Amino acid sequence: MKAADLCFATIREVGERFRRRELSPVELTTELLGRIERVDKTLHSFVTLTPERALADARAAEAALRRGDTDPLLGIPVAYKDLYATKGILTTAGSAVLADWVPDQDSTCVARLQGAGAVMFGKLITHEFAFGIQFPGHRFPAACNPWNTDHIPGGSSSGSGAALAAGLVFGALGSDTGGSIRGPAAFCAIAGIKPTYGRVSRAGVVTLSWTLDHAGPMARTVEDCAYLLQALAGHDPADPASSRAPVPDYLASLRDGIRGLRVGVPRAYFFDGVNPEVAAAFEAALGTLRELGATVQDVEIPNIHDAPAFMAIMLSEAFSYHEKDLRERPELYGEVLREKLMAGGLVTASEYTQAQRLRERLRSEMLDVLRTVDVLATPTAPVTPPAFSAVFDPDFPFARSNMAPFNMSGLPALALPCGFSRAGLPISLQLAGRPFDEATVLRTGHAYEQATAWHTRRPSC
Amino acid sequence: MTIEELRARIAMAGVPIPEARLEMVRTLLTNALAPIERMDARALKTLEPAVTFDAAATSGARV
Repeated sequence: MKAADLCFATIREVGERFRRRELSPVELTTELLGRIERVDKTLHSFVTLTPERALADARAAEAALRRGDTDPLLGIPVAYKDLYATKGILTTAGSAVLADWVPDQDSTCVARLQGAGAVMFGKLITHEFAFGIQFPGHRFPAACNPWNTDHIPGGSSSGSGAALAAGLVFGALGSDTGGSIRGPAAFCAIAGIKPTYGRVSRAGVVTLSWTLDHAGPMARTVEDCAYLLQALAGHDPADPASSRAPVPDYLASLRDGIRGLRVGVPRAYFFDGVNPEVAAAFEAALGTLRELGATVQDVEIPNIHDAPAFMAIMLSEAFSYHEKDLRERPELYGEVLREKLMAGGLVTASEYTQAQRLRERLRSEMLDVLRTVDVLATPTAPVTPPAFSAVFDPDFPFARSNMAPFNMSGLPALALPCGFSRAGLPISLQLAGRPFDEATVLRTGHAYEQATAWHTRRPSC
Repeated sequence: MTIEELRARIAMAGVPIPEARLEMVRTLLTNALAPIERMDARALKTLEPAVTFDAAATSGARV
């Protein structure tokens, strides 16, 4: 395998090569550190690179492999969104507010991946506090999209998306309050799953919105996401919202196919203002799902147009989290983000409560629909990645989100590539399922992925 | 939401938002609150807010 191919291999492929002694974790780590040195000068996906730690982790993985340890994540290169606390390693949340914070313990997700033998390469840039893109001149520059560096990689897990698409790591952590795992996955042509609320611990992840925040994995393939989710999922007493629901074997059912699966397409809301190229790619993806044996039908979520109430919840909770710093040292917050966070202080208690009531109705309606179908399919984003030149307008609107309804409902939702625009920008399919049924969502995504080649394309960086 | 209504909320909350960002904040809040303004709360008397935390879980600290 050529070095360039190696950097874009899958977790299973390199794991098999490790066990056949064709490749060692130290060799892979050294190769990737060189690639990061060459490529990331342009992409800015890493905030903090930890080469010594990576090599130490790789040597430990080699020793474990020699002992016959079988964990599939042994020696796998990963990096963490800079929202996740890492013991002894700077954790900035992309903000000057936390620019010097060195946590004294790992977040639960980091501890679980490290415990599974993953090799830590460092910390990946996040939009500031998982909400505001860094404008020019910010202390932490925004990451660029590997498919076209004039375009954003999505956010807020921007570094995670860019690093994976560029072949710099094999797995990453993202967090998703209104689409921050799935958006960068969509805009960077990779896969990412927002698990069910409570499925993956948020302990040690800097908060944006307590009731909407989800932690989860991102990778280049659905199968790789399944490997990562397997290590991450499960109860954690340090997260008050953590579920005790049993964790199934996500890999066991991944190849079972989707013959007879019922796919529901909610046409209202999710197709408002959709780009024609996105719509065409989505319809083609439905055709592929039919060819694989699924049945596809339109479904209706009666009050789906209430989904933007998501923002009232997120703004209120974010303001609660940040209020003291916003009032005492507002100058540390980035341009525009500061005022967006302050807007949360203008939402009344009654409005917040009503938004949570609308949320409950939406969740209930989505569960009703999922009694008639097994998964929901929508375009992940109605548009292709915008250019920086557009996003850096302070009045650039916060886009209507196809992803936020699944934060409102807490349902598991996966993003994976389903095409490219004529301009070469990624287009993505979103699949969502019943609570704690990540297995069906992953199985559907894997079946689609195996029937298509979108995930095998690589950017030219 | 009009700019005047926004200014009234700003005064009440004591949250400083510069003039140059008023329109951005007005748009943000208008979109976020539109479903709530459309809502007839009297017709939904039995609808309770979303349950967010699992009471069975042990409480713990987060960052």
